Amino acid sequence: MKEPFVVASWPSVPVEIVRAAGFRAVFARGASAPTPTADQHLEPGVFPRRLRHLVEHALTGRLSDAARIVIPRTSDTDYKCFLYLREFVRSGVTSALPPVILFDLLQSGGAQIGGYDAARAHALLDALASASGRKPSADDLRQEIVRANGARSAARRLVVFRRIVPRVTGTELFPLLAAFWELEPERYVAAVNGAARAFAKRPALSGPRVLLTGVPVDGPELHQAIESHGAIVVAEIGPWGSGAAGDDVRVDDDPIRAVADKYRADAVGARTPAASLRRWTERMLDDVDAVVVSLPPEDAVFGWDYPALRDMLQARGMPHVCLRSDQDQALTPDEHARLEVMVSAASTLQEARHG
Amino acid sequence: MADKQLDTTTAASAFQKQWFADLRRRVFDERQPYALLQADVPFELFDLLEIPAVSNQWWASIIAAKRQAPQFLGAMDADGLHCGLCRYCSLGFASTRYAYAGEPPWGGLPTPRLLCARLTCDCIHRVFELWAEAFGAELFEIDHPGAGELPERWWELGRRQWRELVEPHRLAFLVSTLESLVERLEAISGRAFDRNALRDRLELVNQQEEVFDDVRQLIATAPECPVRMTEQITNVMATQWVRGSDWAIAHARAFRDEVQQRVDAGVAACPGERARLMWVGAGLWHDTGFYTAFESSHRAVFVWSMYLAFGPDGYIRYGLDDPMAALASRTASFNEYLHNPPWAAEWLVHQARAHRIDGALVLRPRSMKPAATGRLFIERALEDAGIPVLPIEADVVDGREWDADAARADVRSFLETRVLQ
Ligand code: SF4
Ligand code: SF4
Repeated sequence: MKEPFVVASWPSVPVEIVRAAGFRAVFARGASAPTPTADQHLEPGVFPRRLRHLVEHALTGRLSDAARIVIPRTSDTDYKCFLYLREFVRSGVTSALPPVILFDLLQSGGAQIGGYDAARAHALLDALASASGRKPSADDLRQEIVRANGARSAARRLVVFRRIVPRVTGTELFPLLAAFWELEPERYVAAVNGAARAFAKRPALSGPRVLLTGVPVDGPELHQAIESHGAIVVAEIGPWGSGAAGDDVRVDDDPIRAVADKYRADAVGARTPAASLRRWTERMLDDVDAVVVSLPPEDAVFGWDYPALRDMLQARGMPHVCLRSDQDQALTPDEHARLEVMVSAASTLQEARHG
Repeated sequence: MADKQLDTTTAASAFQKQWFADLRRRVFDERQPYALLQADVPFELFDLLEIPAVSNQWWASIIAAKRQAPQFLGAMDADGLHCGLCRYCSLGFASTRYAYAGEPPWGGLPTPRLLCARLTCDCIHRVFELWAEAFGAELFEIDHPGAGELPERWWELGRRQWRELVEPHRLAFLVSTLESLVERLEAISGRAFDRNALRDRLELVNQQEEVFDDVRQLIATAPECPVRMTEQITNVMATQWVRGSDWAIAHARAFRDEVQQRVDAGVAACPGERARLMWVGAGLWHDTGFYTAFESSHRAVFVWSMYLAFGPDGYIRYGLDDPMAALASRTASFNEYLHNPPWAAEWLVHQARAHRIDGALVLRPRSMKPAATGRLFIERALEDAGIPVLPIEADVVDGREWDADAARADVRSFLETRVLQ
């Protein structure tokens, strides 16, 4: 029998809670495949590909084995997707859908938010527990926190191989980091340890180090495109890459609150406060030579941060490129040409710096 | 734009202009604090603490209607804000951040003491933070918890059973956020908030919206539409931002009385009316002439927009023993009412039937991505109810790519092939 699983639309749904309730978490990701059924119901140009695929799968019966679908309120399009899925069921567009749960995690800074998020995390745990019939105790959840923290520390060890003196490309490292979300922690740690041993023996890579920012990517396609020009992607914004692990979740007597606090602060998405993204980006800039900003066509949010970022980069004399292509599709020849120019400018600066 | 048919419309326009001039004088001369608010923030709380408030969307509509938008929008483009970013709620920001690019209407916005927005669409946090930074002013954010339960016929539940409309945890969250807002406003104004005064104010708001309910009923049932949609909007907008004030209630009544007189006298906005149209979405502020462009050629008149209809259904709250909770229940779900399935489509079909609508024009917002969601559900529901739909692709404040002639031609052909045949 297949292990029971829940499908979630973004890694702001805590894996610790999913596992404590007895499920494996599977997350929606973008892909370049067409989504003809979803396209009949989703307005064009609004929803990211991961949600178009989720809806495609939902409407074509491919999620019927999932115990639950969990949609976090960490972007407006996720929230809309939740309402749409509910409506498809209500109006009879589909009947083969497991119950859909909203995880109403809020990320703004008001005084009420911490308590609210903790209560919502509790409600999520209860909803999943009633689906599995397993009633996890606080200790069970703490246990899952400890297991995931083990995987987090492994992921942080991986990140070291790309910081300062990179030994591994972003294309290669990204899937390893992303696997944090779906692999059992112990298997993840074992996989990371094996990879780390191999990376340690590798020579340092040359080529300018690139930060990939803008709309968080959920696959390595952009890394590949950037690295095809001789640069190395050493960090990317969002929960799938550099940010997959982040800091450990607190282990204390209120594990639900600890999980909620962690995800509110660290689950980078469209509703993460702009100031915290800005701080993260500024920290990253010290260790990179160039920046690529990805603002795919459906972006309605991250583009607002661009003028300030551009000004900051210009003040530092750091080359950058802004890409508007779909993250799951090939870049245009013009975008490749601009990447080439950026990489060669960054290489020149790098050489000048190293004499 | 067509001439105004109602005296109250002229009075409403004059009031808004005078109100804004007074605001500028109070801010500049008397150094009085004022606030800049997203349209769905509870204005009542500000008014009760004597902090006048300007609505962002109203201000954007004025900039666009005065044809000042293109300069500011051009400056946004030039600064690298890509064209997919919403230009509606951000036009006001642009008029501050890129003030050098154009001439904002009526002397422009003075610096507010506070900005306040509900975090509905994801971009609002960005836009308001940038705006607050450009002004050097404080920002208060009201987060928007998602609705997990959406019971049917919200417009009926909302009046008396409003507690059933919003899940308890969302309601409690909103109440406590509004309490925090009140604390900030008390600190700014130096006055104490009076809960009884809030109850009284909400009662007055109910009265005002009841008057609008009467107007809506007159429009729905009169043999021919007595008042153009554009004039409905002017009268409603002018009163909504100061809702529950003496002027607002008196004006709402004057508006109703004038509409009633027209109905009694058999005066129609478009005599010989042949098609009754509904506009779904925010107004096309840069081309309001669009709404009267089919009257003489096709006797087609815009009868309905959300602006009048939403007042009675969205705002009336009876049972005010806990006025803050009542206010919170109203505030919690604006987006869900207006944009999202199942609520928006269900309400629009109900409204279309009540207003004997023959055809619906549904805005397909060019850049307002989050506001564009729900549109396909709405279009389908209207068509399923037998109401032909014409989607209109446009931006509500950015008229730079709007082909007015082509859009009018599309409407004419829609009328001829689907509505009037
Ligand atoms: S997307 Fe929504 S909130 Fe954002 S600017 Fe547009 S209309 Fe306003
Ligand atoms: S368009 Fe919709 S979401 Fe945007 S401000 Fe208006 S009501 Fe709110």
